[in-house]
Amino acid sequence: MDITETKHEQYSVFKLNGRLDSNTAMGFEQKLFDCIENGTQRLILDFQDLDYISSAGLRVILKATKNLKGAEGKLVLCSMQDYVKEVFEISGFDSFLPIEATLDDAVKTV
Amino acid sequence: MAHFDNSEQKKPMGSISFVLKNNLSELDVLCEHLSGFCRSCGVSKRQTFEINLALDELFTNIINHGFTDGDEHLVQVTCESEDNALRITIEDDGIPFNPTAAPHPNLKCAFKDREIGGLGIHLIRSYMDHIEYRRRGGKNVLVLTKAL
Repeated sequence: MDITETKHEQYSVFKLNGRLDSNTAMGFEQKLFDCIENGTQRLILDFQDLDYISSAGLRVILKATKNLKGAEGKLVLCSMQDYVKEVFEISGFDSFLPIEATLDDAVKTV
Repeated sequence: MAHFDNSEQKKPMGSISFVLKNNLSELDVLCEHLSGFCRSCGVSKRQTFEINLALDELFTNIINHGFTDGDEHLVQVTCESEDNALRITIEDDGIPFNPTAAPHPNLKCAFKDREIGGLGIHLIRSYMDHIEYRRRGGKNVLVLTKAL
């Protein structure tokens, strides 16, 4: 899986490309938490090119969300394939995570 | 080390059998075999994703919790195409574990109480139509059925 991080003044965007599973989740967690520890509290995860997610990926997202809520930060997801979105719905993650249709919408929300 | 029948070439059309080592890097091998098989059976991309996810969750569970001896183990996966359904059998010689008896996670609790535990098995239950477990000859045998 490739992860591209783009820093903006107020927020950072992580664009994921490939498969987020128990093989790749640890590298993703590392990048995400490096960013949070460096002081960025507003994050967007762009899933436009994400083909696959398992509960290992959900675990990282839950952990990051908990961390950011404690710090008054925010995590916003966007541009999911419909079958990826269904994983979030089945897991009940859509009840506490903003999931936007486009990156532009996510920028407004974050 | 466990020995498995690995005679995928001899099986008739409409089925595939392969073995995976107890290493998470084998998830890519799982995806490759499964995608190829699903393509040959005309299974949709979405259903292939759902089956892949269920098998991923199960395999990851087996790798993370099934073995305590640090040795190499093999997990055998058999996929069979039936009338309007796929049947997948997963066999491992890890410690006895019956996923069908695992507790359901609480998905309605407050956000601060949300935990990740149990979510993998919840996804397997959500995406597969029938799950059957038995312990046979020192192995966990799980049969998953997905209606197409």
